[in-house]
Amino acid sequence: MSTAPSNDTESMQLDPVFLNSKREAWIILGLWVAALLWSVPYCYFNGFQTGLDPETIETTMGIPSWVFWGIAFPWVVADLFTIWFCLFYMKEDDLGVAHEGEDLAEEIAEMHAADSDATTGGNKS
Amino acid sequence: MNLLSTTNISLTNLFAATSTNAALVSFLVYTAAVFVIAALSNRLLKSKSFLSEYFLGSRGLGVWAFALTFAATSSSGGSFTGFPSKIYSHGWILALWIGSYMVVPICTMGLIGKRLNQVARRSGSITVPDVIRDRFHSPVLGLMAVSLIVFFMSFNLVAQFKAGSLILQTLLDGVTIFESAADGLSQAVAGIPYVSESESPEYLLCLLVFGVAVILYTTYGGFHAVVWTDVMQGIVMVIGVLIMLPLAISQAGGLENTTKLMAKMTPPRISDPDKGGITLTLAEPATEMMRIEAGTWITDTPIDDDKTPLLFRVTVATEIAEGETTVNEVKVLQLTTLDDIERVLARRESEKFLNDVSVSNIDLKAYAYGEAGSQQGTYVVGPGPSPGSDSGFLPLSLAISFFFMWAISGTGQPANMVRLMAFRDTKTLQRSICTVAIYYTLIYFPLVLIFCCARVLLPGMEGDSDRIMPAMAVYLTEHIGMGWLAGLLVAAPFAAVMSTVDSFLLLISSAWVRDVYQRNINPEASEKTIKKLSYLATFVVGTAAMVVAINPPQFLQDIIVYVGSGLAASFLAAIVYGLYWRRINAAGAMGAMLGGFSVHLAMYVTGYFVNGSFFKPYQLFDFDPIIIGLFVSFISGFVVTKLTAPPPQELVHKYFYTTKADS
Repeated sequence: MSTAPSNDTESMQLDPVFLNSKREAWIILGLWVAALLWSVPYCYFNGFQTGLDPETIETTMGIPSWVFWGIAFPWVVADLFTIWFCLFYMKEDDLGVAHEGEDLAEEIAEMHAADSDATTGGNKS
Repeated sequence: MNLLSTTNISLTNLFAATSTNAALVSFLVYTAAVFVIAALSNRLLKSKSFLSEYFLGSRGLGVWAFALTFAATSSSGGSFTGFPSKIYSHGWILALWIGSYMVVPICTMGLIGKRLNQVARRSGSITVPDVIRDRFHSPVLGLMAVSLIVFFMSFNLVAQFKAGSLILQTLLDGVTIFESAADGLSQAVAGIPYVSESESPEYLLCLLVFGVAVILYTTYGGFHAVVWTDVMQGIVMVIGVLIMLPLAISQAGGLENTTKLMAKMTPPRISDPDKGGITLTLAEPATEMMRIEAGTWITDTPIDDDKTPLLFRVTVATEIAEGETTVNEVKVLQLTTLDDIERVLARRESEKFLNDVSVSNIDLKAYAYGEAGSQQGTYVVGPGPSPGSDSGFLPLSLAISFFFMWAISGTGQPANMVRLMAFRDTKTLQRSICTVAIYYTLIYFPLVLIFCCARVLLPGMEGDSDRIMPAMAVYLTEHIGMGWLAGLLVAAPFAAVMSTVDSFLLLISSAWVRDVYQRNINPEASEKTIKKLSYLATFVVGTAAMVVAINPPQFLQDIIVYVGSGLAASFLAAIVYGLYWRRINAAGAMGAMLGGFSVHLAMYVTGYFVNGSFFKPYQLFDFDPIIIGLFVSFISGFVVTKLTAPPPQELVHKYFYTTKADS
């Protein structure tokens, strides 16, 4: 665990990247729920019909109205929200330096330590 | 051979000739371009940490590279074959089917992107099993993750190789050089037991060409080659769609006109594959063996008082022997919409018609949903027409399932997760999510518009709807006298499937080299050994998948669906908990992975007993197994964690805490 900060909790704080990411993830999940709750019921109540008279199909900009208001419109809103969220809300956190090979080095060290423990233990006995 | 065609120029033949020549040229240009990219990428491998560069691009992807590799990898060949085919076959309801793509970019990249990238940096992880192993400090968990990935992805890789070859075959079908090369190959492999039993010589040739190209550039160039070819492929896809959109709308007479015409459409009647069809009788006996190609139109006078002319399209090629006048059980579909029938008959001169023939013994079946009076206008309302299901194409429960499938299941795909570990910094992530959001908006909704227009422009393609993309590309460009443009448009499916195959290939080879060999067998292997093994593993995995794809197992398309949802059910909960929940421990993560995997599998096994096929999974409360699998995975991860001891403090400190700035 060589990269672990000191276990002295006094000198430590919750990682702001973790806190920011978690808050952002909840909002994104909320957006997904909102999209689901808008699109599926809207399309179901307005677009699932039986016995449609072909002459009476309602259109908006040439698209069936239920597709326009149930999918196309929320799609544009979702895009605008995405752009606002990413560019103006999401925190620009520092992700840190990559500790390339550290996980492996750590395991090799543990492996050698275990080997030498075994050897020492064997000598003792 | 007598085709009894009255026309000198057949539109169908014109499609074949123009599209395939254009396809051949675009495939060759493509292949050349990806090899140049691979060569440039290989140079990068010399200056950096090999494994991190080869499998993760040294975590240095910028906005365009990251955004487009993410978008292109997610868009598999299906986006440009299966999806257009579905729009054509079922109409406007596909807008709802694909609707969750409005939030797919922000969900799949934003839910875990930033945190996953940070955790991978902190531990030095290069692969998804690496992250799981390091985060929980558990080699057993790492091995379980790698086993699941290798198990699932190997099936998927074979399926994608097959899909790529079929797309290439569809597009090259009819090109003289291609046909003769396939014949030559067929003779060359005649004595080789396994190879000679492949689906067809054409398929085998496409598999070899496509497979060898992908294996070589991926092996040689590694992650950067894959990423930069993805960028090129992503650009081709969006340009293709944006050119097609205005052409399709204007040639169909506007969207308003398209929707009005679609509202009047009723589904065709179709032949049962096993029995029935129509009987054709020639006016005179055939003077030589006569072949009737798939796609040929047949018309006859209306029966009795019906005013609608009979119009059929052959869906499976058939033959009439010399001296004979009759052939039975010809597989066809029958158009039932008067507007469509009149439109096809009006351009009889430019279509391939079989003349001097009469039709009898019509034994065709109606769609299970879409034809009855109460189901009028089925192409413009939900749940959409369906040949086999009397609840229609997309009943409410399935519409909800697809909202989960694309956005949530997409987040749980390891191929996407690897990309999330490779971007350079948060700013790159923020801008890339916006880029992908705009990119998907420019691709997926326009595809719905384009292929709704295709219903008006090219009626009667239900029997061969997988070819609707190249057929539309050629129809639209020929109409404005720019046939060469079809080359660019038909390149999109190549692009999509190539960018998926190369990513999957690297994912599996990284699992073998990094997760199995380096982390379990020989942690102290030299850089040189690892380098050799990486090249070797990529090459061997690719070659093995290609060899299996020569005679692929049945139900591959179903396997792709099973694998996609199975991976999400196994990985998503473990990763999300690992990133966001301090209390989770190794046992909990294992519970989440095993819980999701087994329940998802159980739905399929139950389907085998209840519905008679493994690939007709049991749908608890009418929901897709992915929803049940994810639900159980999150619950079991939570419960097991709560019942077992908390994780070691040092792990929690490492991944959830930082040193205070002022201390």
